[in-house]
Amino acid sequence: MKNAPLLVGIAAFVLASALPAAGQEEVYLKVTSPGLSRVMIGLAPFPSRPGTDPEAAATLLTALRKDLDQTAVAGFVPEESAKLVVVDPSNALLTRQRWRAVGAQFLLDGTFSGAGNQVVLEVRLWDLTSGEVAYSRRLQGTVALAPTIAHTLANELVHLFTGRPGPFLSRIAFVSDRSGAKEIWVMRWDGSEAQQLTSHRSIALSPAWSPDGEWLAFTSFLRGDPQLFILRPTGGYFKPLSTLPGVNSSANFSPDGKLIAFATGDAGNTDIWIVPAAGGTPERLTHTLGISTQPAWSPNGRQIVFTSAAGGSPQLYVMDSEGTNVRRLTFEDKFADEAAWAPDGVRIAYTTLVENLFQVAILDLRTNIRTVVAGPGSNESPCWSPDGTMLAFVSNRTGTRQIFITDPVGRPRQITTDGNNIQPAWVAQVQ
Amino acid sequence: MSGPLISKPLTFALCACVALGLSCTHRKAVEAPPPPTEATAEAPPAPLQPGPGTTQARPEPSVAPAEHPEGGVASTELPTDLAVLNKAMYIKDPLFDTNSAELRPDAREILAADASWLKAYSTVKILIEGHCDERNTEEYNLALGWRRANAAKAYLVSLGVSAERVATISYGEERPFATCHDESCWSQNRRVHFVITAR
Repeated sequence: MKNAPLLVGIAAFVLASALPAAGQEEVYLKVTSPGLSRVMIGLAPFPSRPGTDPEAAATLLTALRKDLDQTAVAGFVPEESAKLVVVDPSNALLTRQRWRAVGAQFLLDGTFSGAGNQVVLEVRLWDLTSGEVAYSRRLQGTVALAPTIAHTLANELVHLFTGRPGPFLSRIAFVSDRSGAKEIWVMRWDGSEAQQLTSHRSIALSPAWSPDGEWLAFTSFLRGDPQLFILRPTGGYFKPLSTLPGVNSSANFSPDGKLIAFATGDAGNTDIWIVPAAGGTPERLTHTLGISTQPAWSPNGRQIVFTSAAGGSPQLYVMDSEGTNVRRLTFEDKFADEAAWAPDGVRIAYTTLVENLFQVAILDLRTNIRTVVAGPGSNESPCWSPDGTMLAFVSNRTGTRQIFITDPVGRPRQITTDGNNIQPAWVAQVQ
Repeated sequence: MSGPLISKPLTFALCACVALGLSCTHRKAVEAPPPPTEATAEAPPAPLQPGPGTTQARPEPSVAPAEHPEGGVASTELPTDLAVLNKAMYIKDPLFDTNSAELRPDAREILAADASWLKAYSTVKILIEGHCDERNTEEYNLALGWRRANAAKAYLVSLGVSAERVATISYGEERPFATCHDESCWSQNRRVHFVITAR
């Protein structure tokens, strides 16, 4: 157990799910340095003023605890230690010192209030080393939004410690056949709150988010031929974007959200095209022989990586976003497809083939070094979390095809179980 | 456009009939033709009687019997029910090699027979579905199925079938014919499938 010092500080589910299989470590992303310990936060009991909805307060605290337990950077002092803290109502300073004595580096205290269907939470985060308030916040919403208030607070706490918001409001769109047909669904990043977005009862495929989370583009056979559609997940908007001949698949938004790259073509060809997200005339970008598909924009919007079989087997190519300067990226793979450009701009995750099974590979564009992660079964369709610290992908290791995400130490964690679930697309927040 | 090509393709059609193990006898009032493999004593139905408005478009039936006194093409109708017609599998599906949209020699033979049948029944319209096995990503398979469907269409057109009669679609790996996860199923799933959409 050479990992023991690190694992001790990590929540129970990580211990349960992430112990490496004998002899092989399936680590997708090395996001935390070995030995890094988490910031420990004491969670003081939050008193409620009269008028507070007790159920909303309890829901909020449960969600907050669960969120922070799923991070590698910060966690709450375990309840058995927290119980040892004797609260002295007349001496807040002494109480904070007692929190420090049980291992807390920070203390989160707060108060619930509310009236009618409103819940208000006021919190302060004390730095127990300096004795100063490091952060304070007042959050308010309807009782039904209690979990969202918790996720917002958890995001901000993670932002304090890492400089990046946490994933707690992020959502993953995906394709599921659990209703009997392949439809577009959306769920929270941890697999909870799955919601069906289409009821086409035909075939819906390849969801893609606008970066602001307001729009979702996808392919549907709703009208017979596959066509490219766009919808607003919060409702009220659904229309076709491309009805060109061909497969109309693999939509991917430009980083500014204005353009959508996709794949289609007539007479058996498939090329990369772009179309304004607001609707308009599609424009063809590539003129390759045979199949070009799966475009993905670079985070700065200047380049597009895509799959082309122009050279025989499917390989990754990159071009300028005007369609010029096409060059091949992968040379070591028998097969390379489903490229996803990391938010940092310097890594590309993709699907490769190893001994006739799909595996996730990560190409570092600075070094040209490619890392293939070998997991059980076939593993494909990698997709980055919006902050680039996690990957989602699809594995058939359980016998059905399910979506996995990487946990705080980069190992896979299954987040879907119902039916087959494929083609994850991750966005920071749905508007 | 099919006019000048009538006589040769019909010869082709008859050859195809024979090649498929069918004796081309007259046949009337077809309800539900059994699959050709079982229909050793029965022919596929002949072209439709020219209906109103189709007289000029379809000269084949009057030509064929004259050229082939053995009576290879009957003057009975195809089943009116498209579902029944499609079940009869008059148009065979060619199969493909892994990751390829190239027409194999056996696929060309099948398509040549299909082309002959289509030229004999020149009001028939078809949809060619491209299908793939599960061993690529969904997106790539969608594009590969599209390529297969259009390769089959191009070959039919090169043999004289009017392009307007042939629509194409790709289902990629979404509608497999066989659902096991080994080559015995994969080889069946790498195909184009013909659906008659109008008679």
